Amino acid sequence: METATTILDVATWWGWIGLAVAAVFLTIGIDRIDENARGAYVFRPLLLPAVILIWPLVLWRWIVLETGRDHWPNRHRPPRRAHRYVALVFAIMMPAVILTGIAIKQTWPEGFTPVQLSEPGE
Amino acid sequence: MSVKYVPVQWNPFKYWYNLVLALGVGIYLYIFVELAPGILGYQPPINGQVHNARAFGSCAFFMLTVILMMGPLARLDRRFLPLLYNRRHFGVMTLFVALTHAGFIIDWYFAFSQSDKIAALLFSNISYDQVLGFPFEIFGVFALLCFAILATTSHDFWLSFLTPRIWKGLHYLIYPAYLAVVAHITLGVGQDFENMTFPYIAWVLALIVAGLHVAAWLREADPDAAMGEWEGICAVGDIAEGRAKIARLSTGDRVAVFRNNDRLSAISNACAHQNGPLGEGRIIDGCVTCPWHGFQYNVEDGCSPAPFTEKVPTYRLRISEGQVEVDTKANPPGTYVEPLEAT
Repeated sequence: METATTILDVATWWGWIGLAVAAVFLTIGIDRIDENARGAYVFRPLLLPAVILIWPLVLWRWIVLETGRDHWPNRHRPPRRAHRYVALVFAIMMPAVILTGIAIKQTWPEGFTPVQLSEPGE
Repeated sequence: MSVKYVPVQWNPFKYWYNLVLALGVGIYLYIFVELAPGILGYQPPINGQVHNARAFGSCAFFMLTVILMMGPLARLDRRFLPLLYNRRHFGVMTLFVALTHAGFIIDWYFAFSQSDKIAALLFSNISYDQVLGFPFEIFGVFALLCFAILATTSHDFWLSFLTPRIWKGLHYLIYPAYLAVVAHITLGVGQDFENMTFPYIAWVLALIVAGLHVAAWLREADPDAAMGEWEGICAVGDIAEGRAKIARLSTGDRVAVFRNNDRLSAISNACAHQNGPLGEGRIIDGCVTCPWHGFQYNVEDGCSPAPFTEKVPTYRLRISEGQVEVDTKANPPGTYVEPLEAT
């Protein structure tokens, strides 16, 4: 239970930090790094949940763009080669997961009849 | 395109797509929630909360399966390309359906204790050291977190801000998420003693998804990729008017060589928007249209027509003994290259 509480505490702090990052990024930062965002405000609330979820990535990209370290060829090199690994992992893992589930599946003892202990609740 | 951001760039196709999608989800849930209990005849009977959880959970799985089938199907057969067009809205709707499933589960199985509901979800079963009785809920939590990241980063701003490369890398989370969902089903409802209809259907569909990805991979495999500064693509006559030949260079980049009014031009095959396959688009009025989302580029300089500002890299071409060859070193996006006479 302590572990679960700690995980929830970490998640809560993650969310609060994300909210703080979002407050600055969506009001000041976004105008500095994306000209298409200047003067556009209605779409910004849509970005809030993502900033809260991935704020470290947002901070990193913000710094890269602010410091002019963005490498243009990367914008045109999709990670398409990774598809082959996806296909490979799917081909191995999907049957493995399913077969594991089937292998461990329990069965009722022969001739067992469930007994209803009480009437269903109203 | 490169105009001011708006919440959603609607067009008639998206309206229809979403309408059909919403209708499909609505009809599925109506049949499952209203009609299925009598048909399935649960023994022992289950309550409404659990039944609703199963309706939304199975619906989310089917939606996710369709989403994952779209990519490889479109690679295998171009007729499936329109399905890809609005896949992001499909994904966002799937997140809401999956969240509803989680809500019903948490509000029933974990709501009647002194502890916080979410904490109870995390600590009620901690048998992580065994397969039988493994806390399968954690697979669902992981998948839900992935879906949340994917859905919330689906706006075009994220593509531009993160770059398509990072954005697509992030959206590869869909694959471990799907595996997690299959594990969630297998170790959860798949261990049911009575009704195994849904797990059987889910397993078959999951294997079909895996098979489609393998088929698309084999289709794309190109063992003849050449090496060197200039690399051969195809014979001049192999490129149809208004169309392109796509080739993977030894650098790993993909180039699309177009024939426009009997003149050849080469640009990056990856659209600046979402890295869609430009080489599968058609040339209309000198501009190629991306088959995924309709972004357009002049094939001679890789620039979108004004007022849009998207650009893709261009490549130099030459013809050697009837073969079209491309310089593997890409020009910066928007660089004009004189087209080559296709003679």
